[in-house]
Amino acid sequence: MRAKKRRKIDKMIQSLIYLISFIGVIIFVSIIGYIVTTGGKLLSFELLTGNYQAKVTDIFVESNGDNYTYPSSENEYYSPRWDIAVKDSINKEGNPIVEISYIGDNSPMKKAKNLNDCLIGDKSFCSEYSSVNIVVGNSIKTVIMDDYNQIAYGKYKAEAMVKVLEKGSTINSMSIQKEGGGIRGSIITTIYLIVLTLILAVPVGVFTALHLKEYSKNKKSTYLIRSMIDLLTGVPSIIYGMIGVVVVIPMLNIIFKTNGSSILAGAFTMAIILLPTIIKNTEEALKVIPQEIRAASLALGASKTQTTFKVVLPSAIPGILTGVLLGIGRIIGESAALVLVMGAAIKDQVSIKEGSTTLAVHIWQAVGGEQPNYELAAAISIVILIVVFILNRIAKIIAKKMNKSWY
Amino acid sequence: MSIISKYVTKKNIKKKNRIDKIVKNSLFIISIIAASFIVVIILFNLQQGVKPLISDNGGLGRVSLLEILVRFEWLDGKVNATVGYGIGYLIINTLISVFLAISIALPIGVITGLFIAKIAPKAIAEIFRTIVELLASIPSIIYGVFGLGVITKITIFVASIFGQQTSAGISMMTTILVLALMILPIITVMSENAIRSVSSTLEEGSLALGSSAMQTYFKVIIPAAKSGIFAGVILGVGRALGEATAVSLVSGNAFSGPTLNPFGTTATLTSRMLTGFRETTGVDQDFRFTVGLVLMVIIIITNFILKKIMKKVGNINEG
Amino acid sequence: MNTKKEINNIFKIKNLNLFYADNQALIDLEVNIEKNKVTALIGPSGCGKSTFLRCLNRMNDLIEICKIRGTITFEDRNIYRPNYDVIDLRTNVGMVFQKPNPFPMSIYDNVSYGPKCQGIKDKKILDEIVEKALRDAALWDEVKDRLHSSAMMMSGGQQQRVCIARAIAMEPKVILMDEPTSALDPIATQKVENLIENLKKDYTIVIVTHSMQQAARISDNTVFFLLGKIIETGPTNKMFSNPNKQETEDYITGKFG
Repeated sequence: MRAKKRRKIDKMIQSLIYLISFIGVIIFVSIIGYIVTTGGKLLSFELLTGNYQAKVTDIFVESNGDNYTYPSSENEYYSPRWDIAVKDSINKEGNPIVEISYIGDNSPMKKAKNLNDCLIGDKSFCSEYSSVNIVVGNSIKTVIMDDYNQIAYGKYKAEAMVKVLEKGSTINSMSIQKEGGGIRGSIITTIYLIVLTLILAVPVGVFTALHLKEYSKNKKSTYLIRSMIDLLTGVPSIIYGMIGVVVVIPMLNIIFKTNGSSILAGAFTMAIILLPTIIKNTEEALKVIPQEIRAASLALGASKTQTTFKVVLPSAIPGILTGVLLGIGRIIGESAALVLVMGAAIKDQVSIKEGSTTLAVHIWQAVGGEQPNYELAAAISIVILIVVFILNRIAKIIAKKMNKSWY
Repeated sequence: MSIISKYVTKKNIKKKNRIDKIVKNSLFIISIIAASFIVVIILFNLQQGVKPLISDNGGLGRVSLLEILVRFEWLDGKVNATVGYGIGYLIINTLISVFLAISIALPIGVITGLFIAKIAPKAIAEIFRTIVELLASIPSIIYGVFGLGVITKITIFVASIFGQQTSAGISMMTTILVLALMILPIITVMSENAIRSVSSTLEEGSLALGSSAMQTYFKVIIPAAKSGIFAGVILGVGRALGEATAVSLVSGNAFSGPTLNPFGTTATLTSRMLTGFRETTGVDQDFRFTVGLVLMVIIIITNFILKKIMKKVGNINEG
Repeated sequence: MNTKKEINNIFKIKNLNLFYADNQALIDLEVNIEKNKVTALIGPSGCGKSTFLRCLNRMNDLIEICKIRGTITFEDRNIYRPNYDVIDLRTNVGMVFQKPNPFPMSIYDNVSYGPKCQGIKDKKILDEIVEKALRDAALWDEVKDRLHSSAMMMSGGQQQRVCIARAIAMEPKVILMDEPTSALDPIATQKVENLIENLKKDYTIVIVTHSMQQAARISDNTVFFLLGKIIETGPTNKMFSNPNKQETEDYITGKFG
């Protein structure tokens, strides 16, 4: 009887364990699910390569007198005179816009003249115009027809705008907006930051590991150096950011003539954050290199330096690489420290001597304000997750390979 | 005369020895530099953080360490016009949030670790392990977005059951859940490693005595893996205490407290440090370093306490 | 008469004592190593023969707790003299280890490693050195078409011969071999033994072996170690047929070991 009861309890506990263990999977699926469903629609080549700042061009167009046709779909509004269709839409920042959804091959709009070339934007001061490439996806902000009373704004919605467009044969001025909200600047910033950080952190980390594992014979100093580096792991990243503001930024202001926040300051700060990871992974790799390899090199009359840099270090590359991959993941994911040392201003023209946002800080900027833009945050999150997951898997594979015995 | 011996000259050997010496000394200097960063961090944090406590802050008067610890309002008055700071409520909020987050994540993490290490069939264990590792690699800002987009809704729903209002779900409960999600994979990975490395003879010994599988798991294996699990707790607490961006997104950065209502807005030490740091100057910025010092002291004390507990309850037969 | 004998002994060891911390591993060793001969060091494991071998190219320098007293002269210069340069010594005294330990690089890079470390950069000279070393190691025909594939991909026997080629490439005067065949199968062992036989005319070889048969087959002289002491030394055929000491006879006939 008792055994039976116990078996029953065992079964119950076991099912409970199964249930609880599934929580992790549920969390994973719901995070991925939320991110993908929220950001998936927005994620496009355009988002990745587009500018953050919208670009407005004013144009001047004359009708050629023809009337065109186009089988417009339900929520499109078509203008036969100009052979374009527009629709109501919402841009990446979440604001309503009138978006061009079709533009005919022979449309008079193809011959639009750029008013931005003219003095004070007025065609009467112009003799030569450059052409303007209007494409599907651009939005129309304002329209002023030859009769100056016929004016339409984006906020009037697409239907009203088409009506105004049909009321004249010359468009005196039309503001075409190439939509912004792209994350190209943040992607470039992230790449710059990764490269600069690694340039700073990898040599220092690898050389420190070499000193600790290959050169130092003094156990006390090795212990001291190692524990001081280990302490870095316990410091919260926001503290790194704050120290970056009061130490790194003023220092770089003097050395590199920067002016406050900069990617360089971010790189110096991140380099310190990464040091323990790179040192630890390099040391692990040095540890598994058999002593016989060093002995063989020395026995051939190679010096200590030659042995270390020609034989030992190349053999430790997988370990260094693991550290680097984990470090890249950390750089991509870091937000608190970078908000402080690189600022939170999203830029299209990225310079290492100026502040700009990484992808993670871009997310923080997108959802941190009064009107959180979840779609954009989720779309950037997809990019980050893909990169981080790939890095994680590669690091795992390398680590597995490294653990295989040498001979 | 062989080819090689032409090259092995006194001059060449001397050069080699000289290079050896230069390299050796350079590596030593570089490692000293690497080790000195922690000193720089501590010194500058001290310098900035102690300033508000000892200077008269441009005529505003000294910030009293004792007072700020017992005050339950971030700032009584205008920025840089008074020094009436208080972080007592932040300390309480932070400790409550982290404690509750750990209390949620620990049982789930340990049981999931047990499941992956001992119970699950190999293929499922591999899938679970991968998922947990991927969860551990998700940056905290994304946990913040998830918290803002999804967990706030859960909080609103739960609050409505209790007939409570929330500020769009931004609340202490959301903060705790986000922190719990963030540390769950850490504790799971550490527990799984610890449980897997418990020697199988221990397990067999228990089973041979007639204990059921579940009794063996909970009475023998998990206790034997205690110190590894505890190491996970220490890592998790460290991450939760230091987390700034995700928390500042979902906590509401309350100006006063302490928050005892789970549906009310809250603030932690880090979220207050982060908010407005770049925009402010003078004593208002320096004081954030003082908060940083307090945070570091709290981290050191919790670490110390956890390690003491670990030593007391931990076993020596596994690492 | 006297001078001729001195030239024949490339190593002369006098009053050699070696300590690991407080443990004495080698006790009052006195022995000479004859030039262009194969000298086998035999004895039960832990008797100090490998430790002694590593004294000859100062590999024991790598072990911090190791202290050495006494003199070892190589070509009449004491190698433990303070200003004797160890790099100079090791270019003249090559070594082959117990386990094959090629560098994780190509066969070519393994063999050319030593010469490159001495500053030889000319590709033509390096090609020549590599080919000559591989030919001398009887490996050229086997590997000439895959010189740039990794040495780690070869069989154990081939790896060991690459290690020998790597040592030969430095054109040393002496090659020290620390149980070079203990990790190899009988066929690979046979090949390495044949190789040693061929190298004899150009090099002085000191080989540590635990196999009596191997010592008998390939060596000219034998040194018998027991508990850190040299019990007996002399021409191999004499020692194996008519040893002076009882311990030697016991060991050779397999009473212990």
